[in-house]
Amino acid sequence: MVIENKDRNWGMVIDTDKCTGCNGCVIACQVENNVPLNDQNKFERGRVMSWMRVERYWEGEFPEVKARFIPIPCQHCANAPCEPVCPVYATYHNNEGMNIQVYNRCVGTRYCANGCPYIVRFFNYWEPIWPEEMRNHLNPDVTVRSRGIMEKCSFCIQRIRRGARKAKEENRELEDGEITTACQDACSTQAITFGDLNDPESKVSKLSKDDRSYTLMPHLNTDPNVIYLASIKENKEEFQEEKANSHD
Amino acid sequence: MKVIVPIIGLGGLSTIAILAILFAGLINAWLGQPLPVLGFEQTFDQPINFPHTKHAGPVTEGGLGMDCTYCHRTVENSSSAHVPAVELCASCHRAIGSENSEELKKLRESAGIYSENNQVIVDPKKASPINWKRVHRLPDHVRFVHSAHINYLTNNPGAIKNIPEHLNIYGKENVLSSEVCSTCHGDVANMEQVHQVEPLKMGQCVNCHRENGGPTDCAACHH
Ligand code: SF4
Ligand code: SF4
Repeated sequence: MVIENKDRNWGMVIDTDKCTGCNGCVIACQVENNVPLNDQNKFERGRVMSWMRVERYWEGEFPEVKARFIPIPCQHCANAPCEPVCPVYATYHNNEGMNIQVYNRCVGTRYCANGCPYIVRFFNYWEPIWPEEMRNHLNPDVTVRSRGIMEKCSFCIQRIRRGARKAKEENRELEDGEITTACQDACSTQAITFGDLNDPESKVSKLSKDDRSYTLMPHLNTDPNVIYLASIKENKEEFQEEKANSHD
Repeated sequence: MKVIVPIIGLGGLSTIAILAILFAGLINAWLGQPLPVLGFEQTFDQPINFPHTKHAGPVTEGGLGMDCTYCHRTVENSSSAHVPAVELCASCHRAIGSENSEELKKLRESAGIYSENNQVIVDPKKASPINWKRVHRLPDHVRFVHSAHINYLTNNPGAIKNIPEHLNIYGKENVLSSEVCSTCHGDVANMEQVHQVEPLKMGQCVNCHRENGGPTDCAACHH
């Protein structure tokens, strides 16, 4: 028997209108994926590691200012600029539309991080150290990366594997919404949706065709699998004008 | 001169010897399994000399013929096979087993079993886990999942390897979970002391995945 591997295209839709900038997703990702803790030293040197980050923008003039937030994980680009530059094929695209990072193959050249326009790849400059009482909290389904290795958002691949395995053991197809990422679970406003973009009936593919949808830096032609929904403007013209003028 | 030449000779010899040892170490590490000259079945002494032969060995040869899954309970539905908690040992050995056996004494101590006024008492407060040593260890960057492999092999017995003599599973469509373990672990039921029989290197995994149509995507195991 050959195990059938239905080609999928995992994607994420992030509704920036719902995001409140609470940083819950950042913490959830940190916990789920054994991302090393950041200290002051790392911040000062600009070597912070966080697979998901929330950027803040101010909109309008004082006193009419609004804060806008945009959470940025790895964009899992279909034309990923990080992939062709890796000399050891440690990062590649698999048939599930994900940009994979193979830790045990990585030799730490950091070319991929230089190539990434979204700055979502993080290099382990130091051996990760957790406080004694946190060591038993590490996720056993995720490798603990050592020094000299590049890492980034994996779309919670351990959860995808677990879900797919469960479906196979129960002899059924994966359902839409069955697999959730850690950041999605943590989001109190449900701004994050995850699913299969190849399935026209899935929630993500419907959302991705929304009027408000856009991708980051489309002029680079990276074709990301993370799709954003623009925050809702008071009038539609303003939004359409902005969308027409947007460069990045 | 007469003194120096032998010294140089000795130095040369010892250099060659050191290089040879380093080289053997390298080959050993590369192959990842103990070289025959260094003892093919080398393993370590466990804190309690647990005889798999007595428990899982075939009944015809004096074993109890227990299923592997009786003790390694989570193997069918979790990634790890789990070594049983000492309470599971205690559930039988509070009653079964000789009073004088050295190994069982150690077990009773770990499980907090003692007798008082001709009564057997199991005191969980006195129990402490047994510090078993791990025999089959994969590198930290591999995520091996037992349940998926058990699930596949029980439904596809053709892929089972190293089938022990006492099992009769040829030609069956479905087999029990306990009958597939030998593929990677060998005939544990007949081992006095468990040792590794397969190299369990990536080459072996990938070969088997290729033969059986398993995923060969790096991210299937490395994430
Ligand atoms: S999908 Fe998973 S790995 Fe990626 S940012 Fe969210 S929690 Fe982190
Ligand atoms: S958890 Fe949700 S609301 Fe909070 S920052 Fe992340 S995406 Fe925004």
